[in-house]
Formats: sequence, structure tokens, C-alpha cells
Amino acid sequence: MESMSEVDRNIAEAPLPTKGTLRRRKSLGYQMTRFVAFNFRMLKMVTRAHH
Amino acid sequence: MARIVILGAGISGHTAALHLQRQLKNKHEIVVVSPNSNWNWIPSNIWVGVGKMSKSQVTFPLAPIYRRKHIDFRQAKAVAIHPEGDASESKGFVDIVYTDPTKTGEEATLTYDFLIVATGPKLNFAATPGLGPEGNSWSVCTANHAEQSAAALEGIIDALKRGERKTLVIGVGHGTCTCEGAAFEYTFNVEHELRERGVRDLADVVYLSNEYDLGDLGVGGMIFAQNGFETSSKLWTESLFRERGVRAILRAHVEQVDPGVIHYEELDGSRHTLDFDFAMLLPPFRGVEMKAYAKNGDDITDELFAPNGFLRVDADYASKPYDEWAPEDWPKTYQCPRYDNVFGVGIAFAPPHAISEPRKSPNGTVISPAPPRTGMPSGVMGRTVALSIVERLRHGDQAKLHTASMADMGAACIASAGTGLRQGSAAAITMFPIIPDRRRFPGSGRDLKETSGEIGLSGHWTKLLLHYLFIYKAKARWGWFLIPE
Repeated sequence: MESMSEVDRNIAEAPLPTKGTLRRRKSLGYQMTRFVAFNFRMLKMVTRAHH
Repeated sequence: MARIVILGAGISGHTAALHLQRQLKNKHEIVVVSPNSNWNWIPSNIWVGVGKMSKSQVTFPLAPIYRRKHIDFRQAKAVAIHPEGDASESKGFVDIVYTDPTKTGEEATLTYDFLIVATGPKLNFAATPGLGPEGNSWSVCTANHAEQSAAALEGIIDALKRGERKTLVIGVGHGTCTCEGAAFEYTFNVEHELRERGVRDLADVVYLSNEYDLGDLGVGGMIFAQNGFETSSKLWTESLFRERGVRAILRAHVEQVDPGVIHYEELDGSRHTLDFDFAMLLPPFRGVEMKAYAKNGDDITDELFAPNGFLRVDADYASKPYDEWAPEDWPKTYQCPRYDNVFGVGIAFAPPHAISEPRKSPNGTVISPAPPRTGMPSGVMGRTVALSIVERLRHGDQAKLHTASMADMGAACIASAGTGLRQGSAAAITMFPIIPDRRRFPGSGRDLKETSGEIGLSGHWTKLLLHYLFIYKAKARWGWFLIPE
């Protein structure tokens, strides 16, 4: 059970998101900018994969 | 006129078929052989598994698409390859057995000039006694499996509503499984559903995996640059587990699934049991059962296929220790070394080794993830091989082949953590390259500028966008080829 308790301990000690972070994760305005940014990043990566 | 036979109509095989048809028009014959009548956008099976999408939203019939594109579709499974032909046939050919309801069990042969093996995996539930929908656990590997899981989950939610406590175990059902990302997604979609239905407090949600650390995902974990710090996918994932109250059991090999009890071995060799009321455990993969024969009839299956049943291609299969694994080990052209008109793509090609560090328990049990090679890399491989065949047809056998090594390819992975246009969430991850290269990128082996992870509603929107875009593309509708793989 040693490794299981190690995993449990790691989870228990992991940082929790702040209220601000949780709010940003649901904020429509902020998430729209993240949507554009992530899709741009993904498109760049996909373009790079096509030889 | 040449004939190109494609075995399999999943992401890689279907992509190859459409690109070949677009490039070659009707000058050459393209034949697709698949035992399934439907195409399935597998990433969305997660949502079918929690009852948020129906089977018909993630599948569509292949026959009308292939009829429209003048591609010959045979609903059948390939059972043998004769790459040298035989005494009466000089060309290579495959033996097929129809699964088409109008001629089930009928046998036929198909000669080819080029062969693409894109058969995907065999879902090897038999590797673990009691694993799978015909045993004591559920799966989301196919749309049918996902529908069954949704029905079982609904029963659990009803019991929770009656005030009963329930344990839900989600993860992988063998020490050598891959697709930990899908298990992760289903875990958090189930957790999200339980919260939405107001029964989360009575449910114990447990993630059971063969990963050494959370966030490994079969790619050895990742390092992200965030807010001026280098953060590991391990810490990032552990944070999500803490936030959502999900327990994790890692470094585990499931040995057996009895009704309501999972028996598993941990990496330290200890053995445990875990009681459950609902279990969705993904199976390990192996190659589909296909034989290969030389011209004289000798069985050459072991030469063409690796012991795990996947097709050997231009990878370096020499056994070497983890420290000596190199990006160059991974295939570039996906061409079979012995037969230059045979290619293997998607899950069907044999990887040279894993990506995550290999580990064994003191009992000799392998407990480490197999390398994922689904989704975006599969599509890119299908397109690359299609373009190589087009080059060969246009410029002869000496034409330069196109390349798409996973060591020189990035990937985007959107791991859903709950649905809903306002309440949904997903972990959106990019990585470059998929295969770590510590010479080019000292430390993590990946480009910190191109490797990122973020959690939020926008990830859910992106996953939903990809669902519609890739189904549109797979239906070969107007401008489909403008949507990159």
C-alpha cells in the first residue's frame, strides 16, 4: 500500500486553484480569448506536422 | 490502372482513402476493407458514455460516402496477406471474409499494387479475465460500448439518488494499456455528471491506472512553462484530482475483474482488491489477427508482424535500454522494410518501444503504458502514406517518400473534464514533439514554447469544435481537405 499512500499524499499536497483561477476558467470573455489563443497554437502545430 | 487496398476505415485508413481519391481521381482503383459499416469519431465516445450524446451523433455509415467518392468499399475483415502472391497469382493479395450482412462469411481475395494496413487495434479484453462488457466491467472503446456504459451509469445514479453509497472505478484494465487520456476524460466526465445530478457526495470516484505518476498519459509526462515557472503535468493533474475529489491508484496491473471486485498488482509486487459498483476499464490493445504467407505458402506472420500483432515498418526494433532510446528509432515513412508497396499506419504500425519509462514489478509483471498513437498522429500518418503512394504512381519506384515521424510531430490533446457550453471544462494540451528528444530539448525533451496545458471552458469549446469539424471532414463534404489532420 506504500505507493498508494504516496499517490494520496501527492494529491493532498497538490496546489488548489484560487477562487480567481476558478472564476477565470468559467469567464466567457476570458475563455473566448483562450479559445482563440489555443486554436491558433494548435493550427501552428498542425501546419508544422504536414510535410 | 493500379489498385490500392486499404485495410481499415478508422481515422488513418479513412484519411488515406480520401486523400488518395482526391489526388488520383478515378485514374486508379481505391478499395477500402473494413469489418465495420460505420465510421466513429472515437474521442466523442466519452460523451456517449455519460449519456450526453447519442450513438448516431458520433457515427455515420461509410458506404454512401465511398459511393459518392467512387471508392470501392468492402464490409469485410482481412484475414491474411500474401505480399508475394502465390503459385497462381504474381501480385500481392489479401484474403478477406465478408461481414456485410448480405454475404456474411463469404471469402474473397483482393490483389493490390499498394497495401495500407490501417486496421487499428484488437480490443484485447481476453488479456484480463473478467474484463469488458462481456465480463464484469464496461468500456467506451466503441460507440456501442459507450452506450452500454451510459445505461449502467444511469442505474448507479438512480441508486445514489435513493441514498445508497457507490464506488465508481474508471481506468485501464491491464498493466500494458494505452489511452490513459481517455480513461482520464471519462473519470472527470462521470464526476461532472454526478455533481450535475446532485449525487456526488455519495459517490467514491477512483481512477485506476498503470501510469507511474498522474499526468504521464503514456507520453512520459510533460513539462509546461506557466506563470514564469516550469510545471510538470504530474503536479498539474494532481491539482485537478484534489480539486474534484477523485482518488487515484497508480502503478497498477489489473489481474482479474470479478463481479464487484477488481484484483490488481502494484509495481512493488503487492496484490490488492478493490470493491466497485461501476467499473469502466479500458482494455489493452494488440494487432488484429492476420496471417502472412510467402509465395511458396510458408507462414511469414512473424516476419511481417511484431509479437504484439502490429505491422513492422521502418522503425528500429533492436532491443535497447531506456537510456538509449532515441527519436530516430521511430518510423518516418511507415513503409514495410521487406515489401516496399506495403505500409502500416495509425495504431496498426508496431512502435519500436514505449514512450514512458518501462517498469516491471518484482513478479516480472510489466506495469507501464504503451505509446498512444491515435487521433492527430494517425490522421497525419494516413495522409503522409497516401501522398507517398501518389508520388510512387506518378514518378515510379524511386520517388521520394513523404515522412511524418512522431519524433518530429506535435500533438494537441483535448481531455474533456465535463460537458456543457457554460459549465463544461477540458484540459487542453499541446506537445512538441510527441517523442521526447533530449538532444534538441535538454531536460524534458520537448519544446517548452510548444508544450502547454490549460484547464477551462474554452477547452470544452475546442473539443466540441473538433467533434463537428472532423465529422464534417470524414463525410468528405465541400472543402474537407482544407481541415488539417
